[in-house]
Amino acid sequence: MNLRLDYVVRETTSNFRRNVTLTLATVITVTISLTLLGAALLFRDAVDNATVRWKDGVEFIVFMEPDITAELEADIRGQLQDSREVLEFTYIDKDEAYAEVQELLGDSPELVDVITAERLPASFRVKPTDTLPERVDRLAEVFRAQPGVSRVVTASETIRAIEDLSSGLSQRVIIIAIVLLVAAAVLIWNTIRMALFSRRQDIEVMKLVGATNWFIRVPFMVEGLIQGLVGGLVAMPLIWLTNNYLSIINDDVSLELLRGFAVDPSRVWSLGFQMVGLGALVGTLGSGIAVTRFLDR
Amino acid sequence: MIKLENVTKIYKGEVLALQNASCEVQRGEFVFLVGPSGSGKSTFMRLLNKEEDADRGRVYVAGKDIGVLPGYKVPFLRRNIGCVFQDFKLLPNKTVVQNVAFALEVIGHPRSVIKSKVPAILELVGLSRKMHNYPDELSGGEQQRVSIARAFVNRPLILLADEPTGNLDPNTSLGIMTLLDRINRTGTTVVMATHDRGIVDKMRRRVVELDKGQIVRDQSRGVYE
Ligand SMILES: Nc1ncnc2c1ncn2[C@@H]1O[C@H](COP(=O)(O)OP(=O)(O)O)[C@@H](O)[C@H]1O
Ligand SMILES: [Mg+2]
Repeated sequence: MNLRLDYVVRETTSNFRRNVTLTLATVITVTISLTLLGAALLFRDAVDNATVRWKDGVEFIVFMEPDITAELEADIRGQLQDSREVLEFTYIDKDEAYAEVQELLGDSPELVDVITAERLPASFRVKPTDTLPERVDRLAEVFRAQPGVSRVVTASETIRAIEDLSSGLSQRVIIIAIVLLVAAAVLIWNTIRMALFSRRQDIEVMKLVGATNWFIRVPFMVEGLIQGLVGGLVAMPLIWLTNNYLSIINDDVSLELLRGFAVDPSRVWSLGFQMVGLGALVGTLGSGIAVTRFLDR
Repeated sequence: MIKLENVTKIYKGEVLALQNASCEVQRGEFVFLVGPSGSGKSTFMRLLNKEEDADRGRVYVAGKDIGVLPGYKVPFLRRNIGCVFQDFKLLPNKTVVQNVAFALEVIGHPRSVIKSKVPAILELVGLSRKMHNYPDELSGGEQQRVSIARAFVNRPLILLADEPTGNLDPNTSLGIMTLLDRINRTGTTVVMATHDRGIVDKMRRRVVELDKGQIVRDQSRGVYE
């Protein structure tokens, strides 16, 4: 199709200049929606990471002394097996515990270092038959007194509350973000429609002299692409900033139950790039649809 | 070069614009399409570059049935057909040179080709001195010359001129006709719709007369009526 770069650049910049305000509004909307979406996904990841131990009805965890004897460990296991109040339990050995930490926080050795010491002990994850908090506490108390046990952590109502709250919250934020993203697509579509309208004479001439639809389309699609791309690129550092807030929560030692409330930096990066890609996609689609509909009339 | 076979065109299912029209134009011919306003002259032309499709019958351009031409090939058909209109259709924010260059640029010609072709065609239409003027700084006749330059710069096989002198005074019109005649002499087939009796009678070329969408006369070396 022989599309020349200088042609596309010239046409696109002239469109931008024609519609500065609208372009700005569009870019800002893209940025806000992508930042919200990115932050919500990050937050959800962080909560997942912090509460992965508490999945599937695990109500308390029995951590053993690092140097526990095999006999004592067998004792505890036997007790868990015999107890009618225990529905199910899983044994997590040191290696598995470490692997889990590594998986959660893969590329950030500082974090792995901090958390290793705490998680290295082998543990039993216990699902009781009755999840009433008082019953769980009483059962946990029995194991807490057991020799060879270093500590027993229960999934208090608090952590459940946090889990529920956060999933509800991030769900709502994700919905808002998606609505905003759709709004951004509509804005891009509208910006491009206005650009098309202001250039309808040019387009008429282009069609008349035999320009292909792709030739006509590309500068407008590039315009939409750039709007989405810029929105996404601005969103990226904002998502990083959100991640820093997560780290602050993680550093707060008083929230011991939420240890691991952090996201691997590589995940933040990839999420950032995904948001940029999403912006570019939304921009290209929005403008592509606008031009195609305009050309098909 | 052009052939219509029993072509009928009905707009929006009710306006009968062309009715069972058949007509053949050879390569290099100059044809006047005459007839009162609303008789179907513009429709005839719009069928040739596939701005409109025939409802019945066939339209051939350069030996090809364009009724079966897929949409993506239409631009390539149009590259062989130059179009000139009563209202010039020049882009007001582009200079003369830019207007003509634009037509080459958007069909993907490299800059070097554009640089050599555009001045040459402007020389041909006699507008070298106004190359860098904007359309609103030109007279109607000059604007029409620019639009002819734009239509012809790509050396199309066919030039369609829809009332090109409709907005011009008789003297200026004659100048435009001289230009179209010169273009025709290069071998380009020219089809021109007009109400201008004086021009038709003076040129004595083939005349196809339309009335209410029907071809009522087809006469070589004809007059307006
Ligand atoms: N796009 C259109 N939609 C509906 N009717 C049209 C359209 N274009 C032309 N017509 C009608 O078709 C008939 C022929 O029009 P046209 O080909 O423009 O004639 P001419 O060029 O000889 O004046 C007229 O009755 C006109 O009103
Ligand atoms: Mg007409």
